[in-house]
Amino acid sequence: MQSILEKALAQGALEWWPGARARAAAGGEHVLAELFPALARRAGTASLGGGLRSEEVGPDRPARADLDAWRLCDAAGLVLIGLARAGGEALIDLFQHGDFEERTIVLRALCLLPVSEATIALLGEAQRTNVENHFAAAACDSNLPARAALHPSFGLEGFNRLVLKAAFLQEPVSRLLEVETRANPELTRMLQDLASEREAAGRAVWPGTNLLIAFAPIEGTAARLVGGLEHGDDVRRRSAAEGLAVLNQRDLQPFIRERLRREPRAEIRAALERALRS
Amino acid sequence: MRIFEPHIHMFSRVTDDYQRMATAGVRGILEPAFWLGQNRTSVGSFIDYFDTLIGWERFRARQFGMHHFCGISLNPREANNERVNAGVLEVLPRYLEKNGVVCVGEIGLDDQTRTEEQFLIAQLELAAQHGLPVLIHTPHRDKKKGFERIIALLSDLDYDMRMVLLDHGNEETIKLTRDLGCMSGFSIYPFTKMDEARMTAIVLEYGVERLIVNSAADWGVSDPLLVPKTVVKMRQAGVSEEDIETLVWRNPVGFFAQSGRFTPADLEQPAAIDRRETYEGNSMLRGQDPERI
Ligand SMILES: [Zn+2]
Repeated sequence: MQSILEKALAQGALEWWPGARARAAAGGEHVLAELFPALARRAGTASLGGGLRSEEVGPDRPARADLDAWRLCDAAGLVLIGLARAGGEALIDLFQHGDFEERTIVLRALCLLPVSEATIALLGEAQRTNVENHFAAAACDSNLPARAALHPSFGLEGFNRLVLKAAFLQEPVSRLLEVETRANPELTRMLQDLASEREAAGRAVWPGTNLLIAFAPIEGTAARLVGGLEHGDDVRRRSAAEGLAVLNQRDLQPFIRERLRREPRAEIRAALERALRS
Repeated sequence: MRIFEPHIHMFSRVTDDYQRMATAGVRGILEPAFWLGQNRTSVGSFIDYFDTLIGWERFRARQFGMHHFCGISLNPREANNERVNAGVLEVLPRYLEKNGVVCVGEIGLDDQTRTEEQFLIAQLELAAQHGLPVLIHTPHRDKKKGFERIIALLSDLDYDMRMVLLDHGNEETIKLTRDLGCMSGFSIYPFTKMDEARMTAIVLEYGVERLIVNSAADWGVSDPLLVPKTVVKMRQAGVSEEDIETLVWRNPVGFFAQSGRFTPADLEQPAAIDRRETYEGNSMLRGQDPERI
């Protein structure tokens, strides 16, 4: 991470950076309280880039994060946390007394750190905020929610709440990495209920619904997906086709075939064909 | 006419005030940390207050298109409180690095005690270490002596006067401060002390160079529209638009921009208004549909 960051830092930031690194390494977690407020203006808020990155963070599956969603200051924060060997209490303190940018940086860093009690506490903070940047920093563009689901203090209950909030905020399901690996019937029920509620109110339904419910179907799932094939919105129709491919139920093939004959969009036809092959 | 309100305590004001100020042309504000009407009994109360200034209050202002900056400090009144004064001083360095913090203030003298002086000096030094200007509150009682004492302390420290705003001045104190190279601030109050007409007279006599005008509105009888009202008064008295803009925009913006935390160009556009934003789940919308506003 340090080398990716140093390639991207601007000239002015490169002059500041070695001093900040040295302070963090020598001073430990206490100096982070004074280093973090300056990160956004020193390292900058430009995009980091670099695509998907994996880190081995412990016995469980590796942490994965999409660095295209990260900013230079986010990466600088993660490096300083590592150098200062900051523990959970320090991370919580940085979040609680941090401004808008600092909070974003701390939450992003969690995505490439081992899941601890502090991670769970901060995911709870992100869950309760409606500042979309903060929610996205913790819950999106990484497999943190999927990793946290394995932690006893979070579990599927915490995971489901987080995914429901992502649905509520209309975050694209593609930003929730590996989320399908933790699909479960209770999540399906929550998503289907939210979708029905939205439909009754004439409001937009989360496009990720159709895909996720197919991984853990319950009563009503098949009907919702088949119904989705007739939706006027391309995104919804496509996600219904993708959901049906996951669901893989032979008795639904006549509905898929019937739609395929009339489907005008090439990418949706491709998804329907996949559903027939599966 | 763009206005920067350089001393107001929005913490103690209601949402209507933000609306009225925005309508009257106020586009940026500086909220110094102050006394909350009664003494705090723990350092934690200060910390929560500072977190509110850099967090919720900044967010609230943005809902009305207003750029919000703040000053962080131990105020002179509570500098006398031995239960908290040293502890508050200890947490200041962290807050003085925050992006929205553009000065140390308000600091200064109130009762003019030895302890107040000790914490004033300590905070002047902190400000210099963090590259921040200082907003100095001057006593309402025995004002002239208070000014003289503060000026003497600054001179003993050989302090950079370009980084100093001496606030709550009047016709008497301008004579002391006009040639020091610092900013001279004037707080306009309803009924008592400095008013719009007296302020206009000062501008007519001394011009607008290194002068700043504010409402210092807080919990007490005060009016967050007194800067716009003073603008009207000055216009009627024939003060040029150029001078008015210098007084209510260029001077305060330039002074606080010395912090290096923002540039005057950052304030050219109103702060982003996205009414769908909420802070920690507390929406300003209270259940309304943002699309329908
Ligand atoms: Zn004040």
